[in-house]
Amino acid sequence: VAKTSLTSPPWPEVKLPDPAEEAKYHAAEVVRRVNGLISAGQYGRLFAVVHFASKQWKITSEDLIMMDNVLEAECGDRIRMEKVLLVGADDFTLIGRPLLGKNLVRVEATVIEKTESWPKVNMRFWRRHNFQRKKIIESPQTVLRINTIEIYPCLT
Amino acid sequence: MVVLSAARWVRSRLSDRFWRVQEVLKYARHFRGRKNRCYKLAVRSVRRAFVRSTKARKEKKRFLRALWITRIEAASLEHGLKYPAFISNLVKSQVELNRKVLADLAIYEPKTFKSLAALAQRRRQEGFLAALGDGKEPEGIFSRIVHHH
Repeated sequence: VAKTSLTSPPWPEVKLPDPAEEAKYHAAEVVRRVNGLISAGQYGRLFAVVHFASKQWKITSEDLIMMDNVLEAECGDRIRMEKVLLVGADDFTLIGRPLLGKNLVRVEATVIEKTESWPKVNMRFWRRHNFQRKKIIESPQTVLRINTIEIYPCLT
Repeated sequence: MVVLSAARWVRSRLSDRFWRVQEVLKYARHFRGRKNRCYKLAVRSVRRAFVRSTKARKEKKRFLRALWITRIEAASLEHGLKYPAFISNLVKSQVELNRKVLADLAIYEPKTFKSLAALAQRRRQEGFLAALGDGKEPEGIFSRIVHHH
């Protein structure tokens, strides 16, 4: 039969690989290689995406984080951040769905200072109505230093 | 004689007018024109500046989100995906990264962003097959839901 414009659908035909084969390849090749790299320590600087204080942060070791709220921890306390969404190095990335396991990543941070923010002015004004309110807000802030990000070779 | 009321020339007069005026003028020193020197003009300008800064704090969030979306769209187009396809397929694959972090990854970690784009593309193809095939075909691998207990 001759080929017309309607014999095949207009979108490109995509053949996905067989799931059983792909699972075997993944377990054998990919997981083994990444586990080997992790246990050999052949990664440079690690970065992680952490969910903390209702925000997501992209962090590396030795960097500072400031959050606009109070943390119930004294200055100098070591904190472990548990909700890790993504960990990456130069050659591989571990993407969590949505979180990564606690036995896989460890992110440690120290509380450095707890201060108040600069005095922010909150002013409301309606013209011609003799209405103006001025309020000075100093919200509490906490500064954390990310000490280390460690990964362990327990992938499956 | 008995004095029952205070003498008329004793009134309560302001002694710190200078500092009250300086409190307002200090916020106007970087303005342009006479409103950085003259109190009457400065009061109005400073009041408008404060009101605008309070309103801008709410709009900054909207503005930054639009900026992140533009950046993610540009980065995903470099990998051959449009923004709605990218975001919807990432969400369907249970990857809960927000736009701020995706924009940062697109700028500073291009390899990671490429892998995320590949993940979204693969999930998209599996979605199409599931919609078109509609038979006893094997379900895609990236479409499986991960259950946490």
